[in-house]
Amino acid sequence: MVRTPAFQAAFFSLVMITDMGFADRDPLERIDQRFTPSATSEKPSFQRHVVPLLGRLGCNGRACHGSFQGRGGFRLSLFGYDFAEDHAALIAQDHGRINRENTADSLILTKPTNADRHEGGLRFPKNGWEYRVLYQWISQGAHRVAPPQKLIQLKIAPAEISFRSADETTNLQVTAHWEDGTQEDVTPLCRFKSNDEQICQVDREGCVTAGSSGDTHVVVSYDKLVVPVPVLRPVTDLVESRYPQIETPTRIDQLVAAKLRKLGIVPSAQAGDAEFLRRLRLDMTGSLPSVPEIEAFLANPDPHKRSHKIETLLKSPEHAAWWTTKLCDFTGNNDQQLNNSSPIGNRASRDWYEWILKRVTDNVPYDQLVEGIATATSRSPGQSYTEYCEQMSKIYREGKSYSETTGLAYYWARQDFRELEARAIGFAYCFMGIRIQCAQCHKHPFDKWTKDDFHQFKNFFARVNYARNGSSPQSKDEYRQLLATLGMEGKKGAQLRKALPKMLQEGKTIPFPEAFVTKRPIRQKKNNDDNYPVFEHAKLLGGDIVEIENGSDPRITVMNWLRAPENPFFARAFVNRVWASYFHRGIVEPADDLSLANPPVNESLLDYLAKGFIDSNFDMQWIHRTITNSATYQRSWIPNKTNQSDRKNFSHTIPRRLPAEVAYDAVLLATAADAEMESLHQDLTGRAITIPGTGQRDRQPGSPTYALRVFGRSTRDTNCDCDRSSDPSLLQTVFLQNDRDLLNLIDVRSGSWLNEIALEINPERAAQGKQSPKKINRLRKQIGKTRKELKTLKQQTESAEEIGRVEKRLQNLQHQLTALSPSQSSKQKINLATEQLRKLIRTAYLRTVSRPPAETEIVRAERHLLESADTLDGIRDLMWALINTKEFIVNH
Amino acid sequence: MAIHQSCDGIARRDFLRCGALGFGALGGPGLSLASYLRLNAAGQVHEATAKQGIFIHLQGGPSHLDTFDMKPDAPTEYRGTFNPIETAVPGMQITEHLPKIAQCADKLVLLRGVTHTLGAHRLGSEYVNTGTRPLPSLEYPGFGSVVAKETAPWNAGDLPAFVSIPQNGHQKPGFLGIQYAALSTGGAPKAGTPFRVRGVNLAGGLTIQEVEKRQNLRNDLDIAFQSIQQEDPLLAGLDRFSQQAHAIITSRRSRDAFDISQESPHFTKPFGESAFGLSCLLATRLVASGVRFVSMQMGGWDTHQNNFSRLKDDKLPTLDEGLAALLIGLEQKGLLESTAVYVTGEFGRTPKINSKSSEGGRDHYPRCMFMLLAGGGMRGGQVIGQSDDKATLPAHEDQGLSPDDVAATFYHALGIDHAKEYHTTTGRPVMIVREGKVIPAVFA
Repeated sequence: MVRTPAFQAAFFSLVMITDMGFADRDPLERIDQRFTPSATSEKPSFQRHVVPLLGRLGCNGRACHGSFQGRGGFRLSLFGYDFAEDHAALIAQDHGRINRENTADSLILTKPTNADRHEGGLRFPKNGWEYRVLYQWISQGAHRVAPPQKLIQLKIAPAEISFRSADETTNLQVTAHWEDGTQEDVTPLCRFKSNDEQICQVDREGCVTAGSSGDTHVVVSYDKLVVPVPVLRPVTDLVESRYPQIETPTRIDQLVAAKLRKLGIVPSAQAGDAEFLRRLRLDMTGSLPSVPEIEAFLANPDPHKRSHKIETLLKSPEHAAWWTTKLCDFTGNNDQQLNNSSPIGNRASRDWYEWILKRVTDNVPYDQLVEGIATATSRSPGQSYTEYCEQMSKIYREGKSYSETTGLAYYWARQDFRELEARAIGFAYCFMGIRIQCAQCHKHPFDKWTKDDFHQFKNFFARVNYARNGSSPQSKDEYRQLLATLGMEGKKGAQLRKALPKMLQEGKTIPFPEAFVTKRPIRQKKNNDDNYPVFEHAKLLGGDIVEIENGSDPRITVMNWLRAPENPFFARAFVNRVWASYFHRGIVEPADDLSLANPPVNESLLDYLAKGFIDSNFDMQWIHRTITNSATYQRSWIPNKTNQSDRKNFSHTIPRRLPAEVAYDAVLLATAADAEMESLHQDLTGRAITIPGTGQRDRQPGSPTYALRVFGRSTRDTNCDCDRSSDPSLLQTVFLQNDRDLLNLIDVRSGSWLNEIALEINPERAAQGKQSPKKINRLRKQIGKTRKELKTLKQQTESAEEIGRVEKRLQNLQHQLTALSPSQSSKQKINLATEQLRKLIRTAYLRTVSRPPAETEIVRAERHLLESADTLDGIRDLMWALINTKEFIVNH
Repeated sequence: MAIHQSCDGIARRDFLRCGALGFGALGGPGLSLASYLRLNAAGQVHEATAKQGIFIHLQGGPSHLDTFDMKPDAPTEYRGTFNPIETAVPGMQITEHLPKIAQCADKLVLLRGVTHTLGAHRLGSEYVNTGTRPLPSLEYPGFGSVVAKETAPWNAGDLPAFVSIPQNGHQKPGFLGIQYAALSTGGAPKAGTPFRVRGVNLAGGLTIQEVEKRQNLRNDLDIAFQSIQQEDPLLAGLDRFSQQAHAIITSRRSRDAFDISQESPHFTKPFGESAFGLSCLLATRLVASGVRFVSMQMGGWDTHQNNFSRLKDDKLPTLDEGLAALLIGLEQKGLLESTAVYVTGEFGRTPKINSKSSEGGRDHYPRCMFMLLAGGGMRGGQVIGQSDDKATLPAHEDQGLSPDDVAATFYHALGIDHAKEYHTTTGRPVMIVREGKVIPAVFA
């Protein structure tokens, strides 16, 4: 049953009318002009006047009485909007701020006027309008209205500010429109904030002063609402009619240009083919282009070759793998949080990855993909627990993919997803791109969310549970029966985890954990430091109230609400995240913060993409295709005079550091032998973009874990896109310059490009055989094991024969390893002729920075090769140097 | 002073200024009692003298009853099999299996009856490594990363600000970002073998000349972005870190800092040959070279079973040797006064001995534990805090110390205001240690 809040508000508007005395069409004039010294009998409203006034004066700021500890024994709700709490605090017997007998003695009047000791100092003068508002409110009974009245809209004039020069000023006027039809000029009760004080400043009265050129927003807050006002000052005088003619082949380009035209910013020229190909490859597929691919693309005369390339890459396994990795970031595929959520260690993370991979590969509509996650249960309808266990046992035993199951139940298995609050925060982050965590404890300072909104929303997630050890309560008997069949009756935890995998391999059906819908809301831990009310219903964010009946799955309601075309978050959050991975920033930045105070830099652009995405039936490839085919995406990084300082309106490409997995794979691809390329590009063997979880524990030599951590792979820890880092750091440059793994990748090793050259020109220095690094790893493991065995043996026995046998085995393994490792001892030095050198130099450039070298670069590299003792050493240095250029590690 | 924009739009600089000017000024709405009280409190608490810090995490949670908080008069099922001994400080008794530490107890501030409620390894570890109870929605930075940030920009050039031995453990950069992560050595030094640090030591056979030659080639080829690299923050940052990495790899000073074989045998000997002992030796040397913060981990304290033999035969002798040598070594080098040392597990262990193994063990127990502080201007030779007669809780209700308090104290010793606010990427203001109070007695 759906009950809109409208009837509540309609009811209270009656109260409102008597309270205010009128419900006129004309807005009420400013409060500072109504409460003049010549007195007024108006009764101020607690919600409309008193609380906003306290907010504007800073009383409920976090450094003052908004602090959770309060100040001076007096606490207000942080940023207001908890009217019951604030009212109670003001009228409280002991530490209250109100004196009903003698209004003028009220602490709320004496302290802010410094008549009484006040750590916060003077906030307003005695007998100023603020004083009179508070005085009158107290003397007329200090009432409040419950529940809150609904503020429909804040109308701001001007709706947009355009400055022409520095120090120009404009006054904002704010009119509140309430649901009961009343209006009031609330300018003196608002809070104003500039999103970029370089571009404009705003004072307490709403007076905006222009600063340097560019664009930003002034954010106006009153009651529940937060409204951004665009402020813009052109960068050059090339505006409107003086703006040059530019090509805008796609809708994206028209919308971007519309903004640039206002700013007087001219976009950069189109990037060259090599630059475009490298950028597209890295962004869309997380991979460097191969040398033949670059040569073919550069030589292709087809004017539509870029679009064709985009189509080809959209179908590539690399695109699917890279976007699966990104979706694993957003959905939080973290193996530590999934510990013990599957009877087979670490399998949960892989299953998660494969489940998403299949859907990205098949280009399943995004809403269906999300539905499979958001409403997942482990069992399909009508399936018994035993049948479910049989199905899972079969999948696991036969090495089949989990991706065939309808729902990604592991999403609900994360350990940090046990509490309702965490689920609400994670869900809103993941599928709506908003950060509602602030509203868990106080009114959201940058958005309209209140504590009530948060705690009513979280109730949607109160009917799902994950039984990590066993089954849902309804299937306990089946679970016990299964254990009994296995002879494991009454066994628990670690004992089961040890025994069950073996039994699975023996062909038996073992019990599996399951996500299931509960009959009653799940039990919640007592939260000592918070006193939020318990709601019987759930409420969609900014939407309807929903009764939760026993037995139904309220997540389905949320899902239907998300995928409805009018939903303001679902499509926008996704297209913005996709945009953010093709540019240095989102249209909203940070990309996962779609809050009212953080508006898009180009509203119509975000609207267009979101609408197009919905109209395409949530076709994920549509959004990738649309963005990459735009001239905006294909611009050069080389700026011109008008756009060199623009970093937010997409007038030129801004260099970005490669994401961790992409950076690691780039080194892998750049240094791999041609023969290895196929499997790196097609089967993706050993590629970092195929690693499912966050894998903190893997410390194998040669494993990419260390590099990925150093380059800031997403930790998938805190429901934030910022869990992935693209900042540069010292450890990254140390890694690129001198880490053993990196140097080994470049060097002569089996499967490396350098080895390929060695086989051709200096076989004595080549790595023996064609064994993969896997074999070397396996040998190393065996050697370690044998050493341990030897050590134990020596403690246990004195039999020289037995010890000798193991020692011999160890020696043998060590010999094998040495034979596989590149030979260091070769003395033979070979140098190649100029023509061959130039060819190698060209290839090295194509492999790393994906473009042919300029003549000056060839000359410089050649000089180095000629000065080197051996061509191989020289090429190794050249590869090292190229990998250590900024051009390599950034996408541009 | 940096401006910290707070979420209600007040620059933090403003309210610090208001605080300093005193009351009555019509400043921003953020005039803060906290800053006033802090300034006031700073007058009572001695000035910080530490410039450098060392944090040792005893992973697994060492038993407090069998080490630094013995209860010889408690019933058998609590007291355990070890006996207390006198230390260099009259009245301060610790276990008989830490004789060397007992000898240098005058350098130790022993905190007893420290208490919290997080009995899982990960949560407890995150708590004691940051001084703030972990939250699911935010990762707090560890001590070393905060020190690295407060030291930034780090101008030592050829030395990293923050080194961890052997791994980062729970000393993570959190919301401060990976540029403040530790350079991790990847392993502990081993006796008799040259110590190689991942990324710092030159790979097999390479000489400095060859590295320089290679670097020159790179510099000549890295010219694509010349026209914009000064203005672009990413490109400028890459250049800066690249130069610093090159300095670390090629400088004699950085290689020397990690080369413990350069210490005299006389100095080296007390550290013993254990991985922990040699890590302590390395920490001493790194601090002497100018590294601002070193974090170490020593594992194996999770003694659910066979608590006593594991402590007696393995953990305690190793800790005894290493920690005593570290404190004495720092003193010998004249560094103890300027280096704050903090040693702790993530929790204590159950006072009542369990029967999971023949000789019994102890399980996780956060409500009562010990912690150690030393050096850095803190007054050694004292016990602060007290547990009840079975070491189950702080002796006096409401007087137990929290990990937050100890963290605040450690930061104070390091000259860092623990109430300073950082802003997370979501714009949320977060204090370094929100709940803690500096323990004045530590500096008395």
